[in-house]
Amino acid sequence: MEISRRELFQKITTGGAAIAASGGISAALTGVAQAEETPQVPPHALGMLYDATLCIGCKTCVVACTQANGLTPDTRTDPLHQAPADLNNHTKTIIKLYKEADGQTSFVKQQCMHCVDPACAAACMFGGLKKDKNTGVVTWNGKYCVGCRYCEVACPYNVPKFRWEGFNPEIVKCEFCKDRLAKGQEPACTTVCPRKAVIFGLREDLLKEAKRRIAANPGKYHEDRVFGEHEGGGTQVLYLSHVPFDKIGLPQPGNESIPQKYLKWQKRLYSYLVLPAGLYAVLAGTIRKNWKDHEEHLEEEEKASGLRAQL
Amino acid sequence: MKDTWQRDVPVFNVPIWTRPFKFFCGLAGLGMILVVYREIAGLGPASGMTDAYAWGIWKTFNTMVLTGLGSGAFAIGIAAWIFNKKNLHVVMRTAVLTSFLAYAFGLCMLAIDVGRPWNFYWFFVPWHWNYHSPLLEVAVCMTVYASIPLFLENIPPILDFVYDRWPDQRPLVKKLDKVIVAGFPYVVSLAYVLPAMHQSSLGALMLLGGNRVYPLWQTPFLPLLYVWAAAFLGFAFVTTTLLFSSMMWNRALDIDVMAELNRLTMWLVGLWLVFRAIDLTLRGSILAAFRFNIFAALFWIEIAILIYGWSKLREAGNTRSPRTMFYAALLVLVGGMLYRFNPTTTAFQPKAGAFYFPSAIELLVSIGFMSLGIAIFLYAAKVLPILPGSNELARKMEAQQATQPGISGFAAAPRAGQFATGD
Ligand code: SF4
Ligand code: SF4
Ligand code: SF4
Repeated sequence: MEISRRELFQKITTGGAAIAASGGISAALTGVAQAEETPQVPPHALGMLYDATLCIGCKTCVVACTQANGLTPDTRTDPLHQAPADLNNHTKTIIKLYKEADGQTSFVKQQCMHCVDPACAAACMFGGLKKDKNTGVVTWNGKYCVGCRYCEVACPYNVPKFRWEGFNPEIVKCEFCKDRLAKGQEPACTTVCPRKAVIFGLREDLLKEAKRRIAANPGKYHEDRVFGEHEGGGTQVLYLSHVPFDKIGLPQPGNESIPQKYLKWQKRLYSYLVLPAGLYAVLAGTIRKNWKDHEEHLEEEEKASGLRAQL
Repeated sequence: MKDTWQRDVPVFNVPIWTRPFKFFCGLAGLGMILVVYREIAGLGPASGMTDAYAWGIWKTFNTMVLTGLGSGAFAIGIAAWIFNKKNLHVVMRTAVLTSFLAYAFGLCMLAIDVGRPWNFYWFFVPWHWNYHSPLLEVAVCMTVYASIPLFLENIPPILDFVYDRWPDQRPLVKKLDKVIVAGFPYVVSLAYVLPAMHQSSLGALMLLGGNRVYPLWQTPFLPLLYVWAAAFLGFAFVTTTLLFSSMMWNRALDIDVMAELNRLTMWLVGLWLVFRAIDLTLRGSILAAFRFNIFAALFWIEIAILIYGWSKLREAGNTRSPRTMFYAALLVLVGGMLYRFNPTTTAFQPKAGAFYFPSAIELLVSIGFMSLGIAIFLYAAKVLPILPGSNELARKMEAQQATQPGISGFAAAPRAGQFATGD
C-alpha cells in the first residue's frame, strides 16, 4: 500500500509538466485502482450472534438496553407499556415478530449491524459516526455530527434514528453499550437474555459458533447460511434464522458493501485531486487564449459604439 | 421584435415597487419568519420528515434540484468561454445572477436543514474531513464556488452601476476593472471545475442509498447524469428567464442568440436521453420500466416530458419562434427537475409503508427562499445592467435619464461615452 502510493506520487511528479495530459491521469487512476483496498474486518472485531430459533420474544433485551443507555421508555403508542413501533430515538434495539399465513413464525432482533464497511460512516462528513479501527464498533460522537441525517439515508438496515424535537437533536443507534464496554462489561442485551439467543464475543469466535450450530443441525437453518459473514461486505452482528432472511427484514444487498460498490469511481476520480487539477489547468489555458480575443473584441466595440465596455 | 444584443442594459422606465415584487417580498418574509420557528421548535414539528424519509424538500428540492437550474453560469459559461460561442457572452450576466441566487439560497437551505449547525466549524479543519463523503464534497465545493468564483462573476455589473452613478469613483472602478481582468481567466476556470465536481456529487449523494433507490434511477453513472442534467437545466432556465423577461418588460429579443441557446439545449437533452437509454439497457434495469407500478409510471412521465421537450426544441430550431422556444425550455425544465428529484424521494423506498409529504411550513419556507431569489432578480434587473439589449437601447436609456432623472436605478447617469473619448 505505502509503496504503491509512493509510486503513484512519482508518476504524478514525473508527469508534472504534462499534468493535464490524459496519460498522467490514467496512470494515476490505475495507480489508485491498484492501491484500493477491500475493507478488512478489524483485528479485534467485536460482534453478536443472534439465533432466531432460540429467541422467545420476551423483550428482556429491549428493556435492558433502554436502561443501560439511559433512554426514556417509548410509551408513545401505549401509555402503560414500553411499546415502540420501530427503532426510534428512544429505542436502540427492538424485537419484531414475523408471521406467515401458514403459521410459521419467527422473532427478529433489530439493531445496528456494525457493518465491516459501514455506509453510515462513509456518508458522514466529519466523522460523527465512526468505526473503531480495533474493535470495529460504530459509535456516534455529537462533537462531530452536524445533524444532516445522511447516515439515515445511507444505512441499508434503517438503523440510525434522529431526535426530531428541539434544537439539540441527536443520532440514536446501538453502539454495543460503549459505556459498559469501557468498564469491561458486555452489552446489556447479551447479559440478560434468558435463552442466550443473542450472545456477545469476538466476531471470529461467533462465526465459528454459528457454523458449528449449522453443522450440528443440518436443514434447521435457512440456506445453512450465517447472515453477515459476507452480506453487504460483512457485518459484525451475525444472524441465524429458520425463515428466509428477507422475511425478517434483512435485505439481500449482495456481497459488496455499499461504499465499495457505489463510491469506487468517486474515490478514483477524486484521488489526490489529480483530475480536478488537470481539468483546471486545461480550462485556464483555453480560457486565457479565448480571453485575449474577447478583450480585443470589447475594445473595438467600445470604440465603435462609444459605450463603456462590459465584461 | 427583432434586435441584436450587444450589451446588458437595465430595465429602465418601470417602477420597482410593483405588485408582483411586493407579493414575492411578502412570501419571502413569511418564509424567514417560519425559519425562526424551525430553529426554535426543531425539525420534527416544522417538517414532514421522518426517520425513513430523513431528507425533505429543503435538501432534495431546494438544494439538489434548484442548483441544477442555477447551473447556467456553468453550462453557458463553458459554451461561451471554452467552446468560444462568442454571441453567448451577452447572456452571461443573466446566467451568473440567477445561478448565484439559486446557489446562495440552496446553501441557506442546507444550513437550515441540518440539526446541529454549530458543528460546522469542522468545515475549517480539513484534516477532520471525511474526504469520501459525497455530502462533504457538495458542502465544501458549493460554498467555495458560490462565495468565490460565482460571487466575483457578479461584480462587473455592480462596477458598471458605480461607474455610471458616481462619476467621481470612476478611477477606482477602472482600477478594479484591471484587477478583475487580470484574474478573470483563472477565476472563471475555477467556476467550471467546481460545479462539475459538486453537481456530480449531488448525484453521488443518492449512490449511498444503494438498492433502496429504484433501479431505474440507481446507477453508478448517477453523478454523470446529474451533472449533465444540470447543464441542460441551466440552459433551459436562462432561456426561460430571458424569454419571460422580454415578455414582461417588453424587451426585444435577439433571435440568433436564443436560437443558439435552443440548439445547444437540444443537443444536451438529446445526448442525455441517449446516454440514459444506453445505461439502462446495459445494466438491464430497463426491464423495470415495463413493470406495472408507480415507479415505471414516474419513469415514463419523466422520459416522455423530456422527449416531447426535445422535439419542441427541434421544432423551435426550425421555426425560430420564441413561443415554441419558451414551451420547449419549460418542458425541459420540468422533465429535468423530475429526474433530479425522483431518486431522492419518489423513487427512494427506505422501507415498506414509509411515506413523506412536505408539511405546510416546509413548503412555505421552500417557497419563501424561491420568492426571495425572484424578488432579488426583479430588483437587480431594474438597477443593474443584467439583461441583454442593444447599444441603441442603452443610448435611449441615457437620453431618457438626462431628461427625467431617477427613472431607474441609474439615476441621472452622465454620458458613458466619455470613456471612449478619453475623460
Ligand atoms: S432477551 Fe433474548 S429471548 Fe428475550 S427477546 Fe431478547 S433476544 Fe429474544
Ligand atoms: S447497520 Fe447501519 S448504522 Fe449500523 S454500521 Fe451498518 S450502516 Fe452503520
Ligand atoms: S446526522 Fe450526524 S452522524 Fe449522521 S451523517 Fe450526518 S453528521 Fe454524520
